This record gives sequence, structure tokens and C-alpha cells, in this order.
Amino acid sequence: MMFRHLRTKLTVLYAGLFAAALSLVSVAVYLGVTTNAERAVRSELAASGTVFDRVWALRARQLQDGASLLSRDFGFRAAFATHDQATVQSALDNLRARLGVDRALIVGVDGDVMAAGGAKEAAEASGLADALQSGDETGGVFVMNGAPYQTIAAPIMSPTLVGWVVFAVKLDRHEMSELEKLSAIPIDASVLRRGSGGGWTMGGAAPDAHVSGFIDQALATKGGVRELSGPDGASVALAKPLPTIGGGSPTVLLLKFPLARALAPFRLLLGVVFATGIIAMALLILGSWALARSLTRPISALDDAARRLQRGETVHVAVNTNDEIGRLAESFNGMAGEIRARERRIIHLAHHDADTDLPNRLALQDALGEIGEGADGRLVIVAALGIDRFNHVRGAIGYGMFSDLMRELGGRVMGLEQVKALGRMSTSTLGVAYLADDVADATAIAEDLLDRLAVPIVFNTHAIDIHLSGGLAVAGVNDDRVASVIERANVALDQARDGRRRLAVFDELIYGDPVANLSLMSDMMRAIAEGHMRPFYQPKYDIREGRITGVEALARWCDPVRGMLGPDLFIPMAEETGAIRGLTDCVLGQAIADQARMIAAGHQLSMSVNISGRLLGDGDFAVAALDMARAASGKLVFEITETAIIENPEAAIANIERFVAAGIEISIDDYGAGLSSLGYLKRIPAHELKIDKAFVMGMAQGKRDALLVKSTVDLAHSLGMTVTAEGVETPMVMSLLSGMGCDVAQGYLIARPMPLADMLVFLAGDAGRSAVDPPQEAKA
Amino acid sequence: MRLLAFILMLLSFGSQALAADLAVTVRDARGAPVKDAVVMLYPASGTPPVRVAGPYRMAQHNIQFDPFVLVVPVGATVSFPNLDNVRHHVYSFSKPHPFELKLYGHDETRTIVFDKPGVIALGCNIHDQMIGFVRVVDTPFAVKTDANGLAVLRGAPGGKASVKVWHPYLKGPGNEIAMPAAVPGSGTGALTISVDLRPPPDHAHGY
Repeated sequence: MMFRHLRTKLTVLYAGLFAAALSLVSVAVYLGVTTNAERAVRSELAASGTVFDRVWALRARQLQDGASLLSRDFGFRAAFATHDQATVQSALDNLRARLGVDRALIVGVDGDVMAAGGAKEAAEASGLADALQSGDETGGVFVMNGAPYQTIAAPIMSPTLVGWVVFAVKLDRHEMSELEKLSAIPIDASVLRRGSGGGWTMGGAAPDAHVSGFIDQALATKGGVRELSGPDGASVALAKPLPTIGGGSPTVLLLKFPLARALAPFRLLLGVVFATGIIAMALLILGSWALARSLTRPISALDDAARRLQRGETVHVAVNTNDEIGRLAESFNGMAGEIRARERRIIHLAHHDADTDLPNRLALQDALGEIGEGADGRLVIVAALGIDRFNHVRGAIGYGMFSDLMRELGGRVMGLEQVKALGRMSTSTLGVAYLADDVADATAIAEDLLDRLAVPIVFNTHAIDIHLSGGLAVAGVNDDRVASVIERANVALDQARDGRRRLAVFDELIYGDPVANLSLMSDMMRAIAEGHMRPFYQPKYDIREGRITGVEALARWCDPVRGMLGPDLFIPMAEETGAIRGLTDCVLGQAIADQARMIAAGHQLSMSVNISGRLLGDGDFAVAALDMARAASGKLVFEITETAIIENPEAAIANIERFVAAGIEISIDDYGAGLSSLGYLKRIPAHELKIDKAFVMGMAQGKRDALLVKSTVDLAHSLGMTVTAEGVETPMVMSLLSGMGCDVAQGYLIARPMPLADMLVFLAGDAGRSAVDPPQEAKA
Repeated sequence: MRLLAFILMLLSFGSQALAADLAVTVRDARGAPVKDAVVMLYPASGTPPVRVAGPYRMAQHNIQFDPFVLVVPVGATVSFPNLDNVRHHVYSFSKPHPFELKLYGHDETRTIVFDKPGVIALGCNIHDQMIGFVRVVDTPFAVKTDANGLAVLRGAPGGKASVKVWHPYLKGPGNEIAMPAAVPGSGTGALTISVDLRPPPDHAHGY
């Protein structure tokens, strides 16, 4: 773009347009004026030519009359005819004086000339007789003594032609100026005649070549007024041929008027036009500049304001006009205001909880920075205060009232002097920031907070008890390892609840490494897809029959980078993230396939697969598992951790019953490790009970464990279940279990979990082994 | 002396006995016949004396001189009768015989005796358009041309001669030209003379 500013553009545009118009007007005026002036001068000159003709004719008549007066006088004629020289001379002098002519002559047909001025003048007119004899003209220009004269000859008839009375007036400068005075315009008049060389001369001097050329051309074309350009500028000129006596050298009258003089009266007018134009131009430039400025100033202001608005500043454009720009500015101000308001609302929403309008986690996070700056060496503490038994409370009072409760609680927190900032971190958790000298001080303050907040809240005369737990974290500590102090406070709250304490300070050791867990999880998804997740098999030894009757499939992660990973590392995580479904599908599929291979190798074994409690309530999984189970070529056992089925008991029991109906046996795993419920034992139609290895391994040391095992074996048997002891590592435990009537033993004493290939080798060796002599090498 | 005169007379008669006519035709530059030109013959053998016969009359009629040109011998008396109802004032400034016949009326006659050869230009001081000429000749062989430009000179002696032609508007000194001519011994000789004429003045009638 040529112009960076609208006002420059407008100014240049207007000025340009005006200049163009002005130029056109100026040219038109100039052309009009000059054309008119020239035309006026031409017609004036033509008129002057006509006037000259009349003047010439008039004087010719005058002279003629005078001459005739004399030539016809009888006395004069008598005197002339009788050669009365003295009388004739006196008459001539008399008439010359009376008429005021320059020359008065009498020319005889015989060539004798008599002049008023005497012999000298007579001699100068010597050629006149021949001229008069030879031609018919009796009037015209005749040159005497080198000077042109307007000459008139009146014949003297007595009664035949005996001579002429000749009067002549000199065509000199004086005469020309008399002629010039007759013209309305100040023309230049001069008489020129053709010299011997062909050029036109005036007086004695030769005129310019261009004048000669002009006269020649004018005579040739008989043109009227024409333009004559000379070294002293252009003129309009008129050349009139003058009659001559007796074929004397051609003579012309040249009337000339310089164009510059013609234009002189208009020069002032043109000057005024140009000056007016220049002044108008300047005024226009100033005016359009001012107009453009007044027009673009609000636009510039808007432009500037729009930029500032873009940067997020609060802007207001002053409106002082009622035109479109004024309305635009008004709209702009309105828009800017609304944008700011909306922005404030968005920022408010971003920093506040929609339910309670309390500051949210982000607001707390932001506030921590400021608090840290003003900490003055003290520790910045974040306390996560969670309402215990949230589900119950919410269930009791409803979600809406729970929000009121949280708001009320937030209000209380805000009212406490130690609290620097507040944020609702989750539905039932408030984050509170405060300053403390050290961890002990922080704990003391937190205790105080909990005390003061744990006052029942009254809604509609109903008092609601508030039980709070707290988790503390110190800002600036562990920031590099755990994402934020707020998160750590949350974790600390979980740790407090896990430890059934009212308050806990974040413990990194307990927490582990969530960052490492995260990468483990994504790797695990890939491991399932890429087949790095494989089942290992641990044999189950039938104590009474003294042989291997089944195997348990245990998931192993053969990571190319990390190496072999045990289930303790990834199963809990898989359960939390939902990856357990894929993992279980994967292990179950391979286990069924491997069972077929073992049977093909001649080992009719049952296949036990661990099914996570989280999957038992999942109908989709049940359908898929039953689908796969149909392909099983041997007995299939689903091992279920008894604690795991708490989540959705009804659906889980229904699925278990579908499995049982499909011929799959159910085994209760890790019995005794959790809070074992006899109710479940009653409801689950299990075929097998597996005693947790903690009890089995303790049998050798304590009598109490042995008694628990013994009674559990009896309990299971009485409920019609077989009993499997896990963690059998020594022959002594083996013999104790055998004595207690335990059915199956599983543990390092028999064999560690191994891949299918090793398992097949192991089974082949086991075929000839004695029941009372369990394989010792398994301990290696 | 008388004898000599007689011999001379005889000679002249002798030559007269050998007399012939000369028909002279005068034409202008364009070949048109010129009337009122006076043709005069001067024989080389000598010019016989003129014989005055008469009457010679130059009338004023219809505000014109009539005839325009009158040829008279030296010594002739010319009458100037006024046939018009107006008066005339006839004059001549011609050198041979200037005269002036002041105002005279109808049926009045004046006479003038012209005793010198030459041209008498006549004008009227009242009527500018009136112009006439009296040609006073000193030879008996002088005749003015008729409308056909023909002038027949009768009885001129044969032999060499000089012929003069005069006309009021003829270009030349004295409005006259002269040239040699031969007159035949008998019969009629013919001669054509070409002359240059000026245009006549405006008021001269017939030209």
C-alpha cells in the first residue's frame, strides 16, 4: 500500500483531484482567453484594414477634389495652355498651402514638370510623366526621393489632355501614427515596398526575412489577417497591397499587432486565476488534511484501542461525534466492555468452583506463588482437608446440599486468620494454604484448623456432623519429584486415611513414584499388544495322589528393556487403570492354548487362571471368558481373591454362577489374607480354597498358624471344597500339610513358576517321581 | 521669273497629267478600322498650294461638336453655328490659333479664320464632354477616314511622297505619324497604315 495513513491518502486524493480540475480550468481559461484575445485582435486588425481603406479612399478623394478644382479651372487651364508659368506656379503654391499637401506638381504630357517647391522637387518627380502616360491609374503610391507618397493626379483637359495636376502626401512615420490612432487597438502600421533585390524594405533598411516572407505569402494567397512569428514574438498582421502609379514597385501597408500586447490585458486575469488556484489549492490541502485528520483521528483511536484490547488492556474510546464513527466507537466501547466482563467471568470461572463459587484448585495454585513471595523465610504449607465418608454424607443430604455444606465450610476456612488461600480441590476436599515455621508448627496449626472446622453445620435445624481428615505438604520440598504441592497434600490426605489417622504429612516413601508408574502403565498396554505378557505356570501337587494334577497360570511381563517383571508390580496398577481386562484376556487365551499343548504331551492337568475381582462384575468379560472357555480341552479353574468381589457383589455372584454352570471350577484365592468373610464362603459356589502363603509359611514357626491352617482345611472340607496350600517351601511344611489332610500343595518346594517349555520338561520328569518324595531340586 | 514659274507650273501639270489616286486604310493595333484619322500626302516633287473652298462649318449639336474632326486648308474661314437650345462657350488654347467664342445662343454663328496649319483642339467651357478638332492642313491632299478607316487621296502626283496620319488619340509626337509612300503613276494605289491609339477620354463620344 502506498499510504500508511488514511489522512495522507485522502489529502493526496483530494488535492490531486482538485489540481487536475484546476489545471483543466486553467488550461480552458488560458485557451479561451488567448483564443478570444487573438480573435478580437484579428477582427480589430481586419477592421483597421477596412478603416485604412476608407481613410485612403477618403484622402484620395480629397486630393482628387483639390486637384480637380485646379485642373478644371478655366483660368488655370488658359494660363497653362498659354505657358503662363508664373501664374501656374502661383496657383500651385496657393493650392498646396490651402490643402496642406506635401507636394503639388503639374506634369505636362510632354514630360515637363512644374513643382510647387521649385526645380528640385520637380526634378525628383521627373519619372511621373512617364508613369502617368503609361498607366491608367491616376492615384496610388509614387516614390520621390526614395520616399513613398500617396499621389493623386487630376488630368488637365484643355480640352484634350495636356497634363496633370498632381498632389502627393508623404507616407511617413507621422502619417502612419495618424493611421494607428484610428484603430481601436494600438497597432503598428508601416509601408513597405519591394526593393530591387526582391525583398521588402521600409524606408532605407531591409526588414526581417520573415516579414518579407509573410508579405509575399499574404499577397500570393490574398489572405486576410494572419499570424506572423518573428524574433520579437508572435504577432497577428495584415498586409494590404497599395495601388501604385504607372507600375511602380509594389507597395504594401503592413498592419501588425504583437500577440503579447493583445494578451497584456488578460495577463492580470490569468494571473488572478492562477493565484486563486494556488490559494484554493493550499486551502484545499489544509482543509482536506484537517478533514481527513478529524475523520481519521477517531479511526486511529479505534485502531489503537483495538490493539490495546488485543493485548488485554482495559480500553475506552472517547466518543464526541454523532456520526457513523461515533456510533462505531460506542459499539466498540460496548464490545470492549463486554469482552472485559466476559473475560472476567471466564477468569472467575477458571479460578472458581461452579457449584460453590469457592476458589478452585487453579486459584489456589496461583495464590501459592504470591504467598511464597511473602513467606519471609517461613514454610508455605498446603493442607488438603477432606470430608470423611463423603459417599455417605452425600447420600444422606443430596448433592445440592453437599455443595452448600462445602460452601459453608469454605466460608469458615476463609474466616480463619492463619489461612492465606483456599481452593476446592475435589468434591469433598478443600485445599488450604498457610505459613508455618517448621513441620511441627504446620502440624499444630493443621490440628487447630481441624478442631475449629469440625463443628456441626446446621441446615434447616438439622445439624450435620463434619468429620475431617487432613494431609499436609510443604511447598518447595519434593517439587522436582511430585508435580505440585497440592497434589502432594492430596496424597498425604490419602495416606492419612489409609493409615486411619486424622492428619498426615506427605511421605514420599509410602507414596512411591507416580511418575515411574505412569510410564510403566503405558508400557504395559504396549506389552499386551506386542505379546510380551506371557503366562508362567506353577504346578499344583496332589499330596494324596503324589503327582502334579494342575498348574496355575501366573502373568509375567518379559520386557525387552526392564527384563522380567513380577505381577506384584503391575497387577494392582492394571486393576486401577482398567488394563486388567486386556491382561486377563491375554493370559486366559494363552493358558487355554498351553493347556491343550500339555494335554497333547500326555499331561491331563487342570488350568487355574487368576480372575481379578474388578472383572467379575463385568458382563462383557463374562461373555468373552465363557467364549474362550468353550475352547478349553481340560478342566478350567478361575481363582478369585475373596476380597476383590466386594465391588458389585450381585453381578459378581451371577457371573460366577454362569461360570460354574459352564463347568468352570471356582477357587477362592489368598484365603485368610484380607478380612475373610464367611458370608462369601457361603454365597460363592467354590470348589477350592487356597490358603494364603503367609499362614502356610508361618506353620513351621508358630503353633497358632498351624492350628489356623488345620481348622481352615477342616472348614473347607466340611463345605465340600478341596484345600490348596500356597507357599510350600520346606519338606517339613509339606509333611505337616499332609498330616492335616490338605489336598494340594503349591510352592517353591514343588516348583517355581516357569514357561511352558520348561513346564513340559518338568512334567516329563515328574511322571516317575514318588509322592512321598517331593522334588527337592525345585528349591534350587 | 514668270517663265520659271510657268515651267514649274507645267511640270506640275505634267505630273498632274500623270496623277493617280491613293486609297489609305488606317487600322488600329487590333486591326479595327480607325475613323476620323486625317491622312495627308506630301509629294516628294513638291506640295501644290491649297485651295480654299468652303464653306467650312463646325456646328454644336446635341452638346457635341459636329463633326468631331474638321479638315480645313490654311486660310479657311470656319463658322461655328450653335444648333442647340443651350448656350456654348467655345474655346481653344491650341498654339496655332487660340480663341474664345464667349457665350452665344441658338442659331448664332461665329466665324474664325485659321491662317496657320496645325491642330485646333476645341472645347466648351460649359460642357466638358464637348470636344472637337479642326485640323488646318497645308496640303491639298488631305482627307479624313470614314467609318471603314478609308481615306482616298485623289489626283496626287505619282512618285515618291510622304504620308502623315493624324488622329486626336494617336500615340506619338503631335498625335501624328509620318511615313514614306509611293503613289502609282495611274489608277488607284492602296496603302494600309497601322496606328496605335490611346484610349479616348471618358467624355469623347464615339470612342
